[in-house]
Amino acid sequence: MYRIGVDVGGTFTDFALLDEAKGELHYHKTPSTPSDPSEAVGNGLADLIAEHSIDPADVAYLGHGTTVALNMLLERRAPTIGLLTTKGFRDVLEIARQIRPHLYDYTVTRPEPLARRAHRFEIAERVAVDGRVLHPLDLDAVEKAARKLSDSGVSAVAICFLHSYRFPEHERQAGEIVRRILPDAFVSLSSDVLPEFREYERTSTTTVNAYVGPRMQTYIGQLRDRVTGYGIDREPYIIHSNGGLLSVDAAATFPVRTCLSGPAAGVVGAAAVAKAAGHPDILAFDVGGTSTDVSLVLDGRPLFTSERSVAGHPVKSPAVDVNAIGAGGGSIAWIDGGGALKVGPQSAGADPGPVAYGLGGEEVTLTDANITLGRLNPGALLAGRMTMDAAGARTAVEKKIAGPLGLSIEEAAIGIVRVAASGIARAIRSVASAKGYNPADFSLFAYGGAGPLLASDVNDEVGCRRILVPREPGTLCARGILLSDQTFDFVRTILGRATEKGWQQARDAFGELEKQAEEWLAKDKVPESARAYRRYVEARYEGQSFEVRVPFGQPIDNVSLEAFLSAFHVEHKTQYSYDIQERHVEIVNCRLEAVGETPKPPMESTGVGEDTSHFSDTRTVHFGAGGGWLDSAVHERARLGPGNQVEGPAVIEEMSSTTVVPPGYRANVDAIGNLVLEQNA
Amino acid sequence: MSATDGDRVIDAIEIEVFNNRVLAIIEEMGAKLVRSSFSPNIKERRDCSVALFDVKGRSIGQAAHIPIHLGSLKGGVDAILRDYPLNAIKPGDAFVCNDAYLAGGTHLPDISIITPIFHDGKIKFFAANLGHHSDVGGVVPGSISPSAASIFEEGIRIPPVKMVREGELDNGVMQLIIQNTREPEDRLLDLKVQIATNELGSEQVLALVERMGGDAIDRAVDDLLIYTARRLKSRIEELKDGSHSFTTWMDDDGFGGDKLPLAATVTVEGDHMHLDFTGSGPQSRGGYNIMPTGVMATVAYTIKALLDPELPANSGLFDAIDFTAPEGTIVNPRYPAAVGARTTTCQKLSGAIFGAFAGLLPPENAMASCHDVLGAMVFSGNSKKHDGTYVYLETLAGGNGAGDALDGMDGAHCHITNSLNMPAEAVEHEYPLMVEEYALVVDSGGAGRHRGGMGVARDVRILEDGTTFSGRADSYITAAEGYDGGKPGGNCRIVRNHGTNREEEMSPKQRLLILEAGETVRMETPGGGGLGDPGTRGIDELAGDLEDGRMLEETARRDYGNEMVDRALALSK
Repeated sequence: MYRIGVDVGGTFTDFALLDEAKGELHYHKTPSTPSDPSEAVGNGLADLIAEHSIDPADVAYLGHGTTVALNMLLERRAPTIGLLTTKGFRDVLEIARQIRPHLYDYTVTRPEPLARRAHRFEIAERVAVDGRVLHPLDLDAVEKAARKLSDSGVSAVAICFLHSYRFPEHERQAGEIVRRILPDAFVSLSSDVLPEFREYERTSTTTVNAYVGPRMQTYIGQLRDRVTGYGIDREPYIIHSNGGLLSVDAAATFPVRTCLSGPAAGVVGAAAVAKAAGHPDILAFDVGGTSTDVSLVLDGRPLFTSERSVAGHPVKSPAVDVNAIGAGGGSIAWIDGGGALKVGPQSAGADPGPVAYGLGGEEVTLTDANITLGRLNPGALLAGRMTMDAAGARTAVEKKIAGPLGLSIEEAAIGIVRVAASGIARAIRSVASAKGYNPADFSLFAYGGAGPLLASDVNDEVGCRRILVPREPGTLCARGILLSDQTFDFVRTILGRATEKGWQQARDAFGELEKQAEEWLAKDKVPESARAYRRYVEARYEGQSFEVRVPFGQPIDNVSLEAFLSAFHVEHKTQYSYDIQERHVEIVNCRLEAVGETPKPPMESTGVGEDTSHFSDTRTVHFGAGGGWLDSAVHERARLGPGNQVEGPAVIEEMSSTTVVPPGYRANVDAIGNLVLEQNA
Repeated sequence: MSATDGDRVIDAIEIEVFNNRVLAIIEEMGAKLVRSSFSPNIKERRDCSVALFDVKGRSIGQAAHIPIHLGSLKGGVDAILRDYPLNAIKPGDAFVCNDAYLAGGTHLPDISIITPIFHDGKIKFFAANLGHHSDVGGVVPGSISPSAASIFEEGIRIPPVKMVREGELDNGVMQLIIQNTREPEDRLLDLKVQIATNELGSEQVLALVERMGGDAIDRAVDDLLIYTARRLKSRIEELKDGSHSFTTWMDDDGFGGDKLPLAATVTVEGDHMHLDFTGSGPQSRGGYNIMPTGVMATVAYTIKALLDPELPANSGLFDAIDFTAPEGTIVNPRYPAAVGARTTTCQKLSGAIFGAFAGLLPPENAMASCHDVLGAMVFSGNSKKHDGTYVYLETLAGGNGAGDALDGMDGAHCHITNSLNMPAEAVEHEYPLMVEEYALVVDSGGAGRHRGGMGVARDVRILEDGTTFSGRADSYITAAEGYDGGKPGGNCRIVRNHGTNREEEMSPKQRLLILEAGETVRMETPGGGGLGDPGTRGIDELAGDLEDGRMLEETARRDYGNEMVDRALALSK
């Protein structure tokens, strides 16, 4: 049988194929097809089926990371949608948290609200904070609003009333009326999408869900057709932002949960690979063409957040905590008014891309600097499929950077690498420090096409104890999809003091959540033996406005109030370095994560490495102050296996990436094929 | 050494790498401060800042939280250097201060902790951070009253004092401070976090000194400041030489009376710029005065915003610009004038500087006036949750000025503040209050080729008798000016019992109104000014505004004329 992971990126669609019988993993890349991303998925499947002589009936699993929802938000190409709110709160979506996005730059504005003011209707109804109805729902007003929205041609409607996390009835009734009048519209209720207090974040999340809903449904239909068209009769799964898998049905109902699909899969992959390698605490960074994603993994588990913003719109569904900065291979180098060298955030993108691509790019990029320094293969990339114009890159570095700054070409190129690395390093350090961790206690995990190229420069500034580079770092997201479980998150807001009564409310809430979760697991045909639950109680000291998450593996029926309180104090102390034993504690939310465990590929062992004297080539590579131009061994990664050691200076090439081993470093291949870079003692 | 030294060759690459290293340390300190602090004002609203200084008191970097804080941090370091000989400062010491007259503060709730960093037995740097503590004693809860007659009514005054001596916390000093506030436990937790934040920063700075070497880091600091000055000068040189003035107005000085001007004259001469605030009104009899350090921070903010938003925040900036603020005026008051409510004055001053720049900048960078106030609503009464009273402070955004290419932002903070609102659902959970409306104010954006941003209305119902309300803002009489033919934005007002037969309109400076259960208080903040002749606005845009109900049809007819409105309405059909 075969298992396939597919990650659709902006430029390439990546595949990871596990041949279960042989225990082999294969990687594949095909150009993305933005107008219908499922086309590239189909093309890649066809390639894989042909190349490995696969009988489609033997494909047991197909998991998929998608940027459909994300791109809709980034590009604002989506339908007209409507929003119904409680009277007095029509503009909540627009005022947001009332801050401006850039403290100093007034040309940076907030994104336009996804539902324009003309399509936002106030409905007379009001529920108190304790769930009492103060004013009944004005059914006529809902009907009138729905008719106006129908006239405006909306294809989706979001409904968000105050305190609906406590009392969802008004939203449900309004939803029924809207569905009756607009039978084809995608209707999203905030009490379904995010039954949590804080009206702006709930409204925003629900509106995003409605906004991406219709298109996502279409896409899922196209994807299903493609997959069945190739004779694969398994329902595909979609990765959602917390790194778990969703059935396509669930993804079609809650598409907002797929907004950060791809990066999440990468972090899940990084976490699993690092844990298997025996280095479960990592700072991971993924350098792509235009941006770098940074994340932190502790004890083999990615950190999660429930507060992410997607193209400026807050989305409060559980997500792997990934921080992105605008630095990638295509980032443009420039000189500012004070005479300092800068890299990014402007990017040459994939088209025209770096000068070296020869597609008409004229701006010097990080990739051009790496080509000029011989770190990237000046001949061709992607296993020979993409030829490089090294002379063009070198000339551009000279003309645009070295000349104006009075530096040699090599000094300028090294400068571009160092400046980019110092910016990425700053982002990595800030991810560690935001959570209170010291990078020296972590391994640096480099992936994405350009991550391993920069890893040692970045680590000079970050100070991790070692660098880990997985196999085919450029397709780790696809591989991560093979390492994910099915998950779904459920939440209830309590907002009550942690007394015996309040704790009982939490127990009751978990009872309800577990019932919902069981229904979901059954609907998604998860066998009993593969089911698991993770429970979290979010609580705070009274007077605080943020919550601490206390995890419970077991049902809390058997957990006493005292045991909860003491676990809370400990967790608060761990995260914030103090507790206040005598202060009242308030329970805010109960969260349940239902898990359907999927069979995972074994971490591949790549056999024993060959004699490293085989290396295919040498070329001169520039290492800056570390020695200038040095003759360096060029290794083919595929031929390195466990036990092999590569002494710097060297570069190690594979289809999707290049790893630089500077002088003074050595790279060892570990038992599962990762490169482990350490400085010589 | 002056950073204006023109011939020095700086290293284009090291500058950027060093600046990233400095920022990484400051961001780590900021993360620690926000992560570990207790009070919502610091933790949630991030009303705090972090900076590093060298032993000469030059700022080498600041985390971009709240621009006004740079003034107090710089003022605090200068005060320590003035009051303590260097040999009286020991490793492991940490100073606390807040006072406007003794420690360069801008108002008393901003308490700074400043920690010397020693290398080879000498002070090399200072780590500094500041939190806005939600109460520091004084006459009113929250310690800020528009009508405070002197700084003695505004809470505890702290000159630079050692709170930690050679690693030992002086609990007497700590208790003296926290017991003079209304929430001693919150103060204690936050001050301890502030001390720990600097300890973390010191460790990181020392690691960097060890790594780079003492001489190299000195050179890097000089280079960074020179670079910043050069970068700013290159922007100033692009401006035409000359002088431009602009005046914004406050309704009164907090005690009633006449309108009061904030005047700015900006003069460009080659690569240097001078700002002169002569012509600004006499010092406020209430709490609306700005200390010179507050003026400095306001100037630094406006220069970055107007000329170079990404300019590194350090003292290099003041090698390219300087300013004059005459003594005895609202921008340089005499002891012991009150200063607590300086935020709105700083907003008006920022507006005056922006206005003066309009004459210097290329037309495509012009901007009409923003709402230029900070609307604050303060409710106090019996707590729902514990014995005693609650104090709930809400700040309200307003409309921002229209630009040459864009309408002004609707409902967003401007200038020296940028803090989050409190969700209505959270308010109703915490306090015996109900939010009836939180909306954009129709008709408040100034008309123009580009429209000014809309102000914000917040209407709150009182659920318990004896609740007090105080409001702080301005622009009940004055308004955000339009630019180049654009119309002014709407005014600020407070309305008691809006939409009932006992509706009462009042000015936005209200101190301790006592309200009964069932009454409502509404604040509407000003809109931003429009830019350009309204007659040149795109019909599509006008039609969009009308469809979206951002203005009434009759208002549109008044501002844009019947012909345009008819065309716009036809387009919508």
